[in-house]
Amino acid sequence: MLDHSSSKPIYMQIAEWLENEILSERINPGEKIYSQYQLADRFNINPATAAKGLNLLAEEEIVYKRRGLGMFVKDEAPTIIKNKRKNITLNRMLREIVKEAEYLDVSMDELGDMLLKIHEEGEDR
Amino acid sequence: MTAIEVNGLTKQYGEFKALNSIQFSIEENEIIGVIGRNGAGKSTLLKCLAGFYYPSSGEIRVLGENPFDNLFVSENLIFVDDQMSFSAELTLEDILHTAAQFYPNWNQALAKRLFDYFSFRPEQTHEMLSKGKRSTFNMIIGLCARTKITIFDEPTTGMDYSVRKDFYRALLKDYLQEPRTIILSSHLLNELETVLESILLIDDGRFVIQESIDQLKETTYGLTGSVDHLRVTDELQVLHEEKLTGDQVYRVVKGELSAEKLDELERNHVQFSSVSIDDICVYHTNAKRGGIDHVFESEN
Repeated sequence: MLDHSSSKPIYMQIAEWLENEILSERINPGEKIYSQYQLADRFNINPATAAKGLNLLAEEEIVYKRRGLGMFVKDEAPTIIKNKRKNITLNRMLREIVKEAEYLDVSMDELGDMLLKIHEEGEDR
Repeated sequence: MTAIEVNGLTKQYGEFKALNSIQFSIEENEIIGVIGRNGAGKSTLLKCLAGFYYPSSGEIRVLGENPFDNLFVSENLIFVDDQMSFSAELTLEDILHTAAQFYPNWNQALAKRLFDYFSFRPEQTHEMLSKGKRSTFNMIIGLCARTKITIFDEPTTGMDYSVRKDFYRALLKDYLQEPRTIILSSHLLNELETVLESILLIDDGRFVIQESIDQLKETTYGLTGSVDHLRVTDELQVLHEEKLTGDQVYRVVKGELSAEKLDELERNHVQFSSVSIDDICVYHTNAKRGGIDHVFESEN
């Protein structure tokens, strides 16, 4: 689940994994999220690294700390994550796609058709 | 709290300085890797911390005390390496019992489970064991002693890959159960980097860098692009540079790159790649002497 050769630091991968758990509703708003020690055990990483991942989510107000009880998922967490991913992750991926399309002289119309086709294939699955 | 504090530590043998005014400190409950090339001074440093060697000059504080000839420190610190020797009279079972008597926080239940897991037999003696088995047994002693400070000097010598993996896992599991200060030296940094919080890199007996692994990786960039386009990184610390084809260069830099500079590099199609922690350490220690290629260049 973790990619150790990736240029993305492990703690960011942890944060992303937790975000996916929230988006896929395996952890829901109001529920307690994994502790740094549970994450360390699960991914075989130093708990300080796991804590950094959790702190990233706390900074983005996806989770909040309850003194002595641990960290909990905020009600707005799914919306925050979706917005962030749309504005940052999806945007970056689209930039790459547009860049590649320009290299290959693929028009934006053609690119749109390709996207639509992939989307339709997805609906068949 | 600070577990270990070292100030201007020098260990000299005749003219040779194995350690040269080293200064650093280690926080309590950290797992830190001591990294360096062969002969960098790792073992000498660790043995000074354990109180085995007396420094030529400088000061060491372990749990607030001078570790040399100190019973408090020897009760609260264990040093494990492949030279660990036990009386030939004692069986493995006897050794575990003796250790249990000496270390106040010894975990006998864990010792027994690890002993069985790694298929040791109570009546075996330490010197009967193969190199890998001996390291494995020493590892059990080191973990189960549960001392405030645990030092492993090249703990995986002779261990095969699966035992090494078990060791890293056992180390982390046990640390999660009982957080404490653990210092490891190893040549296999890539294998244990996720378990470590930070590293202390030494070279030629001198301190080079002490930093968390995350931070180190995040502030080290591998860049491939034309010489001109890479100029914007000149003001950072250039750790490594090699010529590729044409005007293309692969450069490794350390430092913070501003958003503008990152943008500029990206616009100029400079490729970013991650640099492994092993390579980062090699580049930091190559900086002075040049790489192996340098040896062959000066021959011509």
